[in-house]
Amino acid sequence: MNAPVIGADLARRDAGDKLRGRTRFTIDRAAAGMLHAAVRRADVASARIVSIDTAAARAMPGVRAVVTAEDAPGRYGVAIADHPLFAVDRIRFHGEPLAAVAADTFAQARAAADAIVVELEELPAAVTMAEALAPDAPEIHPGWADYEELFPGGKRAGNVAWEATVERGDTDAAFARDDVTVVESTFRVGRQNQTPLEPRACVASFEDGRFHIETSTQVPWAVRDTTAKLLGIAPSDVRVTVPAVGGGFGLKFEFAVEPFAALLARASGRPVRLVNTRRDEMQTALCRENAEIRIRSAVTDEGEIVGREAVVLMDCGAYGGETPFLTTMTAHTLGGNYRLGSVKLLSTAVYTNTAPTGAFRACNGTYNTFALERHTDEICAAIGMDPLEFRRRAVIGNRSLGSTGQVFEGDVLAPMLDRMAALKARTPSREADADGRLYGRATVVGTWFIFVGPSAATVNLNPDGRVTLVTSGVEIGSGSMMQALPQIVSDALGLQPADVTVRAADTDAAGYDVGIGGGRQTVSLGAASTAACAEVKKKILNIASDMLEADPGDLELADGHVSIAGIPDRKVSVAAVAARAQVSTGPISGNGAFTGPGTAAMPGCAAGHMIEALDLPVFAVHDCEVAVDPDTGHVEILSYAVVQDVGRAINPRAIFGQIQGGVVQGLGYALHEEITIDAQGRIRQQGFETYHVPLAPDVVPVEIDLYEGAPSIGPLGTKGAGEVPILNVAAAVACAVSNATGARVQQIPLTPPRVLGLIDGTEPAPDLSHIDPDWSANRLG
Amino acid sequence: MVAAHEARLHVATSVDDAVAVLTEAGGDAVPMAGATWLMRAELRDEPIRPLYVALGRIEALKGVEIAADAVSIGACVTHAELAGGLAGLPEMRGLAQAAGHAATPAVRAVATVGGNLAASGFAAADLAPALLAADAEVEVAGSNGTERLPLAGYLATRDQAAAGSLIVRVIVPRGDCVSAHTRLPLRVAGDYPVAIVSMNVAVSPDGTIADLRIGVGSVEPVAARWTALEEALASQPLDPEAAATAAREHAGVFAPRDGVEASGAYRVRVLPALVRRAIEALAASR
Amino acid sequence: MPVNLVVNGEERAVAAPPLTPLADVLRDTFFLTGAKHVCGEGFCGACTVLVDGKPAVSCLTPVGLLEGSEIRTVELLADPSGDLSPLQAAMERHDAVQCGMCFPGILMSLTALFETDAAPSRDTVRTALAGNICRCTGYERIVEAALSVCQPEAAQ
Repeated sequence: MNAPVIGADLARRDAGDKLRGRTRFTIDRAAAGMLHAAVRRADVASARIVSIDTAAARAMPGVRAVVTAEDAPGRYGVAIADHPLFAVDRIRFHGEPLAAVAADTFAQARAAADAIVVELEELPAAVTMAEALAPDAPEIHPGWADYEELFPGGKRAGNVAWEATVERGDTDAAFARDDVTVVESTFRVGRQNQTPLEPRACVASFEDGRFHIETSTQVPWAVRDTTAKLLGIAPSDVRVTVPAVGGGFGLKFEFAVEPFAALLARASGRPVRLVNTRRDEMQTALCRENAEIRIRSAVTDEGEIVGREAVVLMDCGAYGGETPFLTTMTAHTLGGNYRLGSVKLLSTAVYTNTAPTGAFRACNGTYNTFALERHTDEICAAIGMDPLEFRRRAVIGNRSLGSTGQVFEGDVLAPMLDRMAALKARTPSREADADGRLYGRATVVGTWFIFVGPSAATVNLNPDGRVTLVTSGVEIGSGSMMQALPQIVSDALGLQPADVTVRAADTDAAGYDVGIGGGRQTVSLGAASTAACAEVKKKILNIASDMLEADPGDLELADGHVSIAGIPDRKVSVAAVAARAQVSTGPISGNGAFTGPGTAAMPGCAAGHMIEALDLPVFAVHDCEVAVDPDTGHVEILSYAVVQDVGRAINPRAIFGQIQGGVVQGLGYALHEEITIDAQGRIRQQGFETYHVPLAPDVVPVEIDLYEGAPSIGPLGTKGAGEVPILNVAAAVACAVSNATGARVQQIPLTPPRVLGLIDGTEPAPDLSHIDPDWSANRLG
Repeated sequence: MVAAHEARLHVATSVDDAVAVLTEAGGDAVPMAGATWLMRAELRDEPIRPLYVALGRIEALKGVEIAADAVSIGACVTHAELAGGLAGLPEMRGLAQAAGHAATPAVRAVATVGGNLAASGFAAADLAPALLAADAEVEVAGSNGTERLPLAGYLATRDQAAAGSLIVRVIVPRGDCVSAHTRLPLRVAGDYPVAIVSMNVAVSPDGTIADLRIGVGSVEPVAARWTALEEALASQPLDPEAAATAAREHAGVFAPRDGVEASGAYRVRVLPALVRRAIEALAASR
Repeated sequence: MPVNLVVNGEERAVAAPPLTPLADVLRDTFFLTGAKHVCGEGFCGACTVLVDGKPAVSCLTPVGLLEGSEIRTVELLADPSGDLSPLQAAMERHDAVQCGMCFPGILMSLTALFETDAAPSRDTVRTALAGNICRCTGYERIVEAALSVCQPEAAQ
């Protein structure tokens, strides 16, 4: 017998060529006769467009095509179709596209784009949520009421792009009880840029009346459908293929450069390459949104949370994009972790005159977990309970109600806390390394989920006895297309992972898929692949039963052979079965599909939510030790430990790699990565000189314990493991820094200047006076 | 306006050649050494120049020469070469640290001493405060011959220098002293320091400070000596805490720069800590 | 006037404007797309190559300065037969690679380090990578893999 492939540390099939420098990412792709494109962007945050004159640009050397809003009539959105490809009549953010140019060289395209004459009349701008929610705020979308709604149920008005609410139980009664302590906290977080090393990039061509777009994306089908919608063409006229992607982290979960290149390809008749510069990426990345949070809780002396109310403002920037959808996450992140007697949550996406925000690994969860866990520590201080003891008592367990009234299954968080205690016990504290600096430690919990949703898979058994897996899955670096999926398929068919060819994503070849993100690929694509394999296996066994003259029910499929159970010598190879199929049934293939089962919330609890209950919750416990330099505010991470709920580990080593990488991205969010927006609505960090991601000297090796066995609807009991590692990091670091300094940490990132301000008492608390302490007063009428 | 692909490059063969070409071009030309600063002009929204004069082939600008009384550093010596060339000279330790920790390894391998001092927009240059503390002089070639001037004087006048001016070498006096360089990037490494304190001290037999120079970088737009603190610490023992206290008292002399990554107030606020660390390093290296 | 270079052992001439970044010449003229043009400001290191044996960020290296220079890129590391170099093989063995964009630069930075320091400490390796951004891996496996090459016993 060959060794089992599930649970094996399978190597990556793409590592060799990535190390040789041979892998051709989208930015490395060139086509004969290819043109280069540049986008003309707005350099003000809010203006009326008087005129755009492209005549001079069209006459410049090398220019082959210029396209503008007239060429792209459609509007895009996830919840609301509010977003044109080019600004129409009105500029809403600094960096908004106005026109695009294709030329023989990039320098020519850039020069021509700069030569487009734009006449503007500046309008008042609202660049902060406080400004956008002010009574006299300029209306960023005067026509908001007429926009097409792509998902029903969210309240909208003026600069409120979307409102989602949770109401379960009577919080007024809870806060009025005389046996509770009421604790109120406020938090503010900045944006985080996803910063994949490969920028958003594509090469588009137009042939036989159809577009072919090679692009660096996580969502080939969304690119296909969005490009069609913006261009006003049929989705079937767009083919999207995806080479190896140089990182995504959510940035590539929406369309980006593709429709511009497509328009230019059609207009010029030539392939067109459009690659964002790093400055483009800093200016227009769909950052993790900045957010403002007010939360208050009524808690008994025994640590029972009898009432909780919270308001979360999420800055969606000038257009909604993913952010209105992401309001749904608050119910499960800020509303997660703990049992709540009663709860009211308001999660609002706010339009501002800034670059649109979007998805980033554990969207919304990172800052809501930061807020929730810091709030929890403030509760513990107020009632005088040890923070670990409080968490042991209060975390969600078997049959607990979630905020929207869903019923959780299984005790997961409490045993994970025990596992963290054991991990800490066997790993020496690094307190001595603080060496005179302020030392702090914290253990925090987090609730996340797998973003299930539709996936399709086809498995073809080839005449050589090997199989091809055809999906729209994209390899963005996590390795799931290179490791977990071949492992799942080979396990299902008694083959070795090397026997499984993985087809790169091609919307002309594979069925629909929501895309790669939300930790879903191993679960959703894995489940669809498993279903496809079941069909293939059934066909294999049927043909083998003729060949072996045995009942299919008596046959076993293993080690590349079909054998009769109990008589291992009576066997035929899968290759022989495949050959027989050529002349009996025709080639063998199987199709599989998957979508989320739709777990129920309590009726009437949630309004405006696109995910009312979690099909597949995931939990995480993080622990962190820090040393804080009282003279400079520098925070050093002394140790970091993670206990993560993975369901079942298909490839443990790959998961360890995801956890180390996700934690370090979280350290960037917690400590270094700061986006600030000036009064003119311009993002101040224009590159890596000022946008500081963690570097090799900043990180520590993460101690990891995988928690297996929690309930899961995933194939083989698995859960996605790649998204959640970033979830609790800001929470763990902020709680540890608060413990080290004694300061009330209300904002991240904890850059040295901010931390020193906290120590000195000069760091101002966030001014959230635009969030009414009366929860209901913040709702739309 | 010149586009990058239209710019010309003259590879100079000698200092005289470089000076002649630069002088003739007037303000249209600038010297180029490692190029790591000039190649980012567009990212700083600065214009591309019509002509660049490459200095890297000029033998006279190369090499670190160590004599009994001074070290002569060619303008085209890279940071990495400087760090290596000064190894083993105790009084040059601060300068070696500045050269060995600036920017990133790949930038240190090409970025030069002359470029670091000539880049007037670069407030966070590591070598400038280290060389101020080392009492360095700069030899500048120009159409009227060669002149030697104190580094502070060069830094103050570099933007008004006549076309054709060119740093040839930097001369650092040697002596019975020790030096230290403390820098504060926001991460462990890899970003420009938000504040730098360099010190060079001669210590009397009784352990008190006989002669002290302090260079401060990245706090103001141009690196400068911290003379108020030098005077306050004169004849004092090498006491880190006392020095930090004195630094706090004299931090008001700075007109610090606000930047995207840190405010001016923060840059000044951390100076006492950097002074303490520098004094600790000096005391340890005696 | 063309610039003459030796690229991965091969004499080449390139007629590009003198300020053209070496990264663009390597990628667009010689089709050596291993080095990635990612930030254009020398902080990410994805374009790191060796110029006359020293690491250089090729995005900030004007080709006009390189007459007669010897350039080595990631494409030179593996054996022509395709076998990975010991450093590359260590990265594969440690499952260090994720998206892979940073590796061409990281491998060249480490190659430069090993040519000057055959047995660097862990801290030296980490510091040597301060100019190379990796957004996926959290660095530790890269450091582990590098140490396994130069100090095989220490990394176990």
